[in-house]
Amino acid sequence: MKIVYSQLQRLLPSLKNLGPKQIADRLTYLGHFNDSLTKTKNDTIIGLEIRQNRGDCLSYYGIARELSPLFGPLNLPEIKTIPSISKTPLDISINSPDNVYRLQAIRLSGLKNKDSSSLPQIKKILLAHDIRPINAIVDITNYIMLFWGIPCHAFDTKKSGLSLIWEQNRNKYSSFTTLDGSHLKPEPETLMVNSPKQALSLSFLGGQSSAIQKNSTDIIIEMAVYHPSRVRQDSRFLKISTEAGIRLDKFLDPELIPPAFSSLVYLILKHCGGQVNSQLFSYYPPIKKTQKILFRPQLVSSFAGINIPTPFCLTILKKIGCLVEKNKKAYLVTPPSLRPDIRLEEDLIEEVIRYFGYEKIPTNEVLSQKDSPDITPSLVSLICTLQNILTSFGYDEIRSWPLVNQKMIVDPKTVIYTQNSINSKYPALRQSIIPSLINQKKQYSRFKLENQQFFEIGKIYYQEKKGDYQEKYSLAFHHPNSVQLQKNLDKLLAYFHLNQDLLMNPLLLSKQKNDSYVEIILDNLVHQISPQDLCLDFSTKKYTAYELERQIITLDANLNFKSKKDPKKILKKYVKILKDKLWQIKITDIYFDQKTQKYRYTLQVSYFALNDKSAKKLHLKTFNLG
Amino acid sequence: MDQSLKQFTKTALAKISQVKNNSKLEKLRIQFLGRKGKINQLFSQIKNIPPEKRKEYGQNLNSLKKKLEIAFKKQAKITKTSPLEKISPPKISRSYSLAKIGHLHPISLTERKLNQLFSHLGFSIYDGPEIETDKFCFENLNVPLNHPAREMQDSIYIQEPQVLLRTQTSSIEARLLSLEKPPFKVVFPGRVYRNEKVNKSNHFIFHQYQAVVVGKNINLKDLFGCIDLMFKTLYGPKVVVRYRNKYYPEVEPGVGPDMQCFSCHGHGCPLCKGAGWIEMGGAGIIHPNVLAKAGINPQKWRGFAFGMGLDRWTMANYSIKDIRTLLGGNLAYKPNQI
Repeated sequence: MKIVYSQLQRLLPSLKNLGPKQIADRLTYLGHFNDSLTKTKNDTIIGLEIRQNRGDCLSYYGIARELSPLFGPLNLPEIKTIPSISKTPLDISINSPDNVYRLQAIRLSGLKNKDSSSLPQIKKILLAHDIRPINAIVDITNYIMLFWGIPCHAFDTKKSGLSLIWEQNRNKYSSFTTLDGSHLKPEPETLMVNSPKQALSLSFLGGQSSAIQKNSTDIIIEMAVYHPSRVRQDSRFLKISTEAGIRLDKFLDPELIPPAFSSLVYLILKHCGGQVNSQLFSYYPPIKKTQKILFRPQLVSSFAGINIPTPFCLTILKKIGCLVEKNKKAYLVTPPSLRPDIRLEEDLIEEVIRYFGYEKIPTNEVLSQKDSPDITPSLVSLICTLQNILTSFGYDEIRSWPLVNQKMIVDPKTVIYTQNSINSKYPALRQSIIPSLINQKKQYSRFKLENQQFFEIGKIYYQEKKGDYQEKYSLAFHHPNSVQLQKNLDKLLAYFHLNQDLLMNPLLLSKQKNDSYVEIILDNLVHQISPQDLCLDFSTKKYTAYELERQIITLDANLNFKSKKDPKKILKKYVKILKDKLWQIKITDIYFDQKTQKYRYTLQVSYFALNDKSAKKLHLKTFNLG
Repeated sequence: MDQSLKQFTKTALAKISQVKNNSKLEKLRIQFLGRKGKINQLFSQIKNIPPEKRKEYGQNLNSLKKKLEIAFKKQAKITKTSPLEKISPPKISRSYSLAKIGHLHPISLTERKLNQLFSHLGFSIYDGPEIETDKFCFENLNVPLNHPAREMQDSIYIQEPQVLLRTQTSSIEARLLSLEKPPFKVVFPGRVYRNEKVNKSNHFIFHQYQAVVVGKNINLKDLFGCIDLMFKTLYGPKVVVRYRNKYYPEVEPGVGPDMQCFSCHGHGCPLCKGAGWIEMGGAGIIHPNVLAKAGINPQKWRGFAFGMGLDRWTMANYSIKDIRTLLGGNLAYKPNQI
């Protein structure tokens, strides 16, 4: 939602001495995140993120009301009553009463529609809201929507005729043409405004068949509030988002229709001449009365954690439009119709605290609550312990996609498929982690990262019978040397005083093209482990992870020395020289050449983030091989 | 003997004498005396020699071949009888490298950092299923069917509309409230799923961290204190956090913690999209409907909950530019402590 600051200042004169940034910040604290502040030639446009429950704030009137408890009073333009000249009723049928909360409509005749340029102020506001000016009548309807937050619509009666029907499509029309000429296929449930002969409009979008043009002289204008879910579903199904739809798919206040509709009629007659040519059509079935809410002011302080005086609480509630009645030791509060989001005492408490200011609540006091019982499941402790053990063995942890392709399915009978996977090639949930490790191995090989040892702890999923969805934690690990893998497995089990032969848990030892992998289902393992062997130690060392973008380049170098050298010192020297370009360095051979009486150290050096040429150049330079 | 042949002999003999290793000597022997070796290549050129000189050329080549054979034999004796002394560095016989160290995944590191903090504050670490029912993912969190808040979260369904992959860790909160008796203080990291397109900055899988406390008279001051400490742990003591009102169906009052942009310090820049602040997640006092649906009396118990995403912080902390790396195969660690 955008707000042209000068327009807001007109509604709240006390803002004249305050800057837009200050007001934008206040609106943020009140719950409407200020996501942009754009300066124009003589004005500022405040961008606000209005949350789903505050449809009332999608207008200048709504935002001004929101600020009025702090910067009031409101300075609203005079609302003139609609002249009742004609006694001719409008021919309007509401065939979908569940979806129409309130509707007003009227016929205006003898109009002289004009260019948008004839209304420079309105044109400026529309442009600030990225709404394209069309002509005077259309621009006024858009302006009224921005000002009051209630969308309205005009039909050219020469095209639409004089009978209008609010109804769900029910397969009556297979196609609907929008104002910009797009063809839509309405659903049977889509709420529409039709004439007896043709589709005229959707609830949130006008149609080409009754569009107002510069030569339109006779129109029916309407303003309505609909069932928000109906509008939301229609707009989602048709994949169309409009300014009207954004408002109508939220709870709007039907009580705003009379003043907003009067303003609409007044502005059209003022700028385009003409006169009222029908009775005011008004549809407003009785609605449930707003319930009174019990309010205990002392709870406000209890919720906030600091003292907020009762008089402040009551003043704020009154200023936002609530009716407040004393009721023994508490109060009964009736929220304004504009605020259907206020239903509970907690909603009232929130209202008071947000106007009091969240920023006034201290942030430096940590929870004073007494220690609660430890309800950490053993499985969480087991995972933590396993991470610590495996990293101490030199294994790296990986995480991979739990969605897998058809080739990675282990047991087609128990596999779980997603209905709408984001990637149709990966439709199933994995049943084993080993295929993920195999993929990882392939990836590392692509980057020439050889001899990697790694593990993953994650979920595996299956269904015992249809619809009985199961998931379990599983650990899988891989070492390029199968003997070492077995040794590590033995060591791991020994840590928990377990023997592989006695393990009640399915242990999967998989051999894939000479590569060995181990997988253990942890949900089963945890029951065989003594709690004393589990350790919830989350301490970690600081190190860096790298996003590989190119292959690791490995080159050899020979160094000759007259005397023996400490290999560690040699390695450290080159670690220092090569810095972040070095991935790994090791000494693969140490020989003594009797003939030359020299010691020769053969180094294997792996370079990171360098191409072949740069790696070779650096290598030759570093080891004087040029 | 032809001048070029003399030169060839000299070079070859020098090369042979330099070899100190049996296997290399054998390689060199094959290079010179093998079936496709250089000597045979020279023999094959005999057809290009004028007939009157062929005899001499052949004799020279034979003589050269013999010389080389003798040289190879001699050198083989040297390498056999007197091999290079092999020396052993401490403990390792032929090779020496720094010890391989194991690494945890960056997301695990972030989770553990927070787990450690909250463990010290007396919180338990909890967990919950990823395949979740509508009841725990939405209904029990005050988000009934057709509630507009559902549109903020496009779900991946297993069996629409009842079974899905959890869209938020709040589903663990809903289960926790149903299963455990208050009071409790719990945190839980978790993987969540949304039906979103995958690109450099968005993923359909991401990681959240959530805290839930239920006790007597829990209030916003308690909540702000915990969040502040969490951000200071992650971002350092100078971090500036503000708390504002924000709507979430499962909390009332709702809170939006924002962190002052570390790049522009509140002035507005492309990173924070000009706002000067970065939205850091959601929080609030648990909605009484949520407690009631879990069988907890909201008149007696009150609680707070907060949640935040872990991926962006982890990416910034580990200089990872592409979110896909977090669950991809190109994330790696230097094998040694260098």
